[in-house]
Amino acid sequence: MELSEKLVRGEGRFVDDIQMPGMLYLGFARSQYARAKILKISGAQLTHKEVNFEVVEVGEGATTGGPAALSHPVLANGHVGYVGQPVAAVYSDDRYVAEDLIDSVEIEYEPMKAIVDPEDSLKREVMYPGVKSNAIVDRYFGKEFTPDPSDIVIERKIINRRIATNPIEPRGIVAAYDGHKLTVWVSTQSAHSIKGGLSEALKMEPDRIRVVQVDTGGAFGLKGGLFPEYVVACYLAMKERRPVKWIETRREHLLASRPGRGVVANLKLYAKKDGTITGLKGEVIVDNGAFTGGSGEFSPMFIARQLAGAYYLPNAYVRAVSVLTNKAPQGPYRGAGRPEAMYFIERLMDGLADKLKMDPVALRLINAAKETYTSPLGMQVEKSRQFLESAIKELNYEKYRDRENVGFAFLILYHATAGGESARIKVENGRLKVWTGGNAHGQRHDIFIKTLLKEELGVPEDIVDVLKGDTDQLEDGVGAWGSRSSMVLSSAVIVAAGKIKEQIGKKHGKYTLKALLEGKWDEYEFFKYDKTESSLGANLVTVDMDSYGRVIVKECLSYYDIGRILDLDNAKGQNAGGAVQGIGQTLSEELAFDEDGLPLITSISDAGVLSADLVPKFGIKFHKSESPLPSKAKGIGEAPTIGVPIALSRAIEKATGKLIVETPIRPEYLLPEEKA
Amino acid sequence: MNPPAFEYFAPTGIDEVIDILAKYPGEAKILAGGQSLIPLLKARISSIPYLVSLSEVKGLSYVDEGKEGVRIGAMTVDSDIENSELIRKKFPVLHDATEQLADPLVRNVGTIGGNLSHADPANDLPAVMIALDARISVQGRNGLREIKARDFFLDTFTTALEAEEVLTEVTIPFWGKRSGGAYVKFKKNTWNFSVAAVAVQLELEGNKCTRANIATTSVSAKSGRMESAEKILAGKELTHEVISKAASEVAASAQPTSDPYGTEDYKREILKRITREAIRKALSRAGEN
Amino acid sequence: MVSKKHISITVNGEAKETEVEPRMLLAHFLREVVGLTGTHIGCDTTNCGACTVIMDGKAVKSCTILAVQANGKKVMTIEGLSKGREKLHPVQQSFVDKHGLQCGYCTSGMILTSYWLLKNRKNVTDEEIRAAISGNLCRCTGYDNIVESIKDASKKMEEEGDPIEEHPEIKVRA
Ligand SMILES: Cc1cc2nc3c(=O)[nH]c(=O)nc-3n(C[C@H](O)[C@H](O)[C@H](O)COP(=O)(O)OP(=O)(O)OC[C@H]3O[C@@H](n4cnc5c(N)ncnc54)[C@H](O)[C@@H]3O)c2cc1C
Ligand code: FES
Ligand code: FES
Repeated sequence: MELSEKLVRGEGRFVDDIQMPGMLYLGFARSQYARAKILKISGAQLTHKEVNFEVVEVGEGATTGGPAALSHPVLANGHVGYVGQPVAAVYSDDRYVAEDLIDSVEIEYEPMKAIVDPEDSLKREVMYPGVKSNAIVDRYFGKEFTPDPSDIVIERKIINRRIATNPIEPRGIVAAYDGHKLTVWVSTQSAHSIKGGLSEALKMEPDRIRVVQVDTGGAFGLKGGLFPEYVVACYLAMKERRPVKWIETRREHLLASRPGRGVVANLKLYAKKDGTITGLKGEVIVDNGAFTGGSGEFSPMFIARQLAGAYYLPNAYVRAVSVLTNKAPQGPYRGAGRPEAMYFIERLMDGLADKLKMDPVALRLINAAKETYTSPLGMQVEKSRQFLESAIKELNYEKYRDRENVGFAFLILYHATAGGESARIKVENGRLKVWTGGNAHGQRHDIFIKTLLKEELGVPEDIVDVLKGDTDQLEDGVGAWGSRSSMVLSSAVIVAAGKIKEQIGKKHGKYTLKALLEGKWDEYEFFKYDKTESSLGANLVTVDMDSYGRVIVKECLSYYDIGRILDLDNAKGQNAGGAVQGIGQTLSEELAFDEDGLPLITSISDAGVLSADLVPKFGIKFHKSESPLPSKAKGIGEAPTIGVPIALSRAIEKATGKLIVETPIRPEYLLPEEKA
Repeated sequence: MNPPAFEYFAPTGIDEVIDILAKYPGEAKILAGGQSLIPLLKARISSIPYLVSLSEVKGLSYVDEGKEGVRIGAMTVDSDIENSELIRKKFPVLHDATEQLADPLVRNVGTIGGNLSHADPANDLPAVMIALDARISVQGRNGLREIKARDFFLDTFTTALEAEEVLTEVTIPFWGKRSGGAYVKFKKNTWNFSVAAVAVQLELEGNKCTRANIATTSVSAKSGRMESAEKILAGKELTHEVISKAASEVAASAQPTSDPYGTEDYKREILKRITREAIRKALSRAGEN
Repeated sequence: MVSKKHISITVNGEAKETEVEPRMLLAHFLREVVGLTGTHIGCDTTNCGACTVIMDGKAVKSCTILAVQANGKKVMTIEGLSKGREKLHPVQQSFVDKHGLQCGYCTSGMILTSYWLLKNRKNVTDEEIRAAISGNLCRCTGYDNIVESIKDASKKMEEEGDPIEEHPEIKVRA
């Protein structure tokens, strides 16, 4: 049955749907404090004493080997660094009883003063003994320069606060062990990442681990990673020789999964009086959380490097810092550094336009890169002027130019194409089975893979089975993130199909569908790719403000270069889905903490996930300049989460006359004064 | 997150319900729609050893027009009130509130009895019932008694109900011919609950307001009447100035607290503006009659 | 140890009788006792609607109803919508046709809420649809394709009717 048909019948197979005889339900007693020493634990079945592993980083932007003191122990090792950190584990063959057991664990703490604000962290005592500084990353990009004294300067502090990824299906895993091999079923973006991570964390040979991806109910960056709970589940499965299930609750998700954003920028943009930008200086500070294991070691650098936006920026010198705070480790969330970088530069550009009393889009046009170049911060910026000209036309900007409620965003999306991707096609009994290294979790790769195989091999869609990730079926793989799958994954499929075609050609003289379906074929391709590709995009947003300062998003239009369109419906869905997240980031989504580091958000609605009645209908137009990859496609997944917050913030700024430098924008800030 | 263990009873008669409540004083609680109680149990915020469900007691779900008013059974779900033509016509303030209460699926289960008994100052129906001068019928070991809605809500999560009493019915008396009301709710961003909300019910004679009730949601420890503001309206023609003055008085007498949804001052300001909106709407509805 | 309760719930037309702990949620009863895993769980605060089922004709959130409360009632889950028929139900078909799902996790709930809406209203507007699904969260689709699916389903239901003969008697209102 086709995947969507299965799903609408309720016959998907998500991780919590798995039932096995003798299965144990795992639960975690979690820290109530943001920062504390643990004095005593009683009533727990598993603690660090027995399960003393550490989480290793996997997924997008994974780095290896930070300072040892900072690694995330799977169960707390004498101290806790954030509310929700797993301290001890309990289990039972009844999920309700497992929860009762959590309540019976008693933990004595000696609380310490939490470090909550990232900038404050740089001034505070070090979080751990033996660590030199709370800055776990502190690097400079670009080159120091002396601005022309006659230049105009725009200086801003700009903040993107933390938000939860909030896929509607929470995290989850089932682990089983047969005495030799550990098999794991997991909701993930990358079976191979999980396998690699588990092997390293548990110090087990990789070939004794099999990771199977089940239907995955959304991920948005989160599920590329390995988590403490997964390691404990595997440990327990091996210890008890019984299948173990752990399913995250939403509350746990809000406390202890890896939230995204959480970045502060202090930046100065320099420009000539005619609007030509001349340089950028300042710092980007990432709120890393209490341990490594997320993406905090990577994200400040990734953000700093992209700060030229799609513009020609001759000079730049930017400090990239990641600081320890008493919060859960920061992780990738749809865009993962891309939305932050573009938000910062685009807010500065709007500020500059206001200062010069110029039209912000005209200012962007002056500065759009006329030729492809490598910015002083290190990223290649593709020539962008022509694209911007066509965006202005396609989004009908002239019509909106003089309105007091419009915002425009110009963006460059760097696809995580580097690293390539794998695919395997197996033909047997007249059907094709396809496995890929990047595992779909709401992008419907199955649809475009079938389209491509129809083109490459002439096979009808209904004899192709696109299977979920399985490390036993596919040698190696990377993962589905960073707007990469339509590019490298599809290319791997094309090349693998080509290999089969070639073999048939060799054997039969020429390729025929009949030969394909009557034979047995099995080809694996790891499509290698080293380059980071990019594409351009623009957004236009208009708003209405009511008399209470509430924002009604009226129009939200996208114009993205997605190269060859592999699946139009899917592209539209990706756009609308990302746009809602972009609106959420701007207006409602935040994981707020109090000054003691206690989370103030306890439900998915408090976390600001928007419902259908709060968002508009979206519009998208496509620019189709083909990518150099075999699939000729370009990714789209992250473009709306980059562009929409920018254009929406600007539209609100215009409509209210209030400077917007923070997401989410608090309704309170927008309350209009009443005329007496 | 799942509830802790409890004993469950589902008797078919009110008397039995009362007997069970009396048998476990302080340990037994009524379960109506469960839309407040079950989330609390799931979050393990409260643990209740004995739950007594009203789901099998027949005859507690109705919206009936009587001689002196409309009677609503305790187990009537919000969506049945929302869809009642009678309520829409006679008490638009209640229609306004049910239409904006929670979400459509929660409204299919949550009951008026539960909404009132729960006495969450963020629940919408207490303020509406206070504004409408509704009377609440409760049944206990000593029979039936009626409590005025305005006297029913004592504090956050605390009502005038005794431990073994059951709320059985709400009676909303008819108002004069030229009356009208409105409920204006300023929702939290993506939550159904409000930053502030206000219920206003007015009656007019000539161009003067003869009766005015105002009650608020989410801005005090309990839903309560705003008597000082009501006094500003009573007996007067509701000019722009009078309305503004009453709205400012509501804002001044409320006791909101700061949280991630806004500071105390912000909430007062919102309350002032929604109160003005609600009075105007109520006035225009009363004027149409 | 609390005493278990004997319950009988009609699930998709079949009576299910068993003993359950009073604290068991209807969602878990459906998923783990009856084995119908199409009803999903996405939150613990009654916000997401992934657990939506139809109970005695109304769309409700099965994560916030005890199985014992459903005693004697008729429940329809996503599996009931095309039960015993090879063809998809018009609402399911529209979600497939109009790309109303991506990851598919919210889908069961979205479809059942839509079904309930369409049994109650004809010629639904975008605004009515969005209000009706406001208690069902989707993090993937941005809702556009869901709204399109529901409009399409409305047409299909008008043209083809509802193939479910023995559906729970959904109250039709004006
Ligand atoms: C997602 C969500 C959003 C919500 N949004 C709103 C909103 O915007 N506005 C709003 O007003 N409410 C909201 N609610 C709460 C909802 O309206 C509840 O239904 C209501 O508060 C309780 O009604 P219930 O029938 O579900 O009562 P239950 O949850 O069963 O009971 C609540 C309390 O009342 C007691 N009780 C119930 N019935 C009686 C009775 N007849 N006699 C004596 N005691 C009784 C119970 O013992 C319990 O203490 C929301 C709930 C959810 C889950
Ligand atoms: S699981 Fe029921 S509303 Fe979220
Ligand atoms: S399709 Fe993924 S949550 Fe709706």
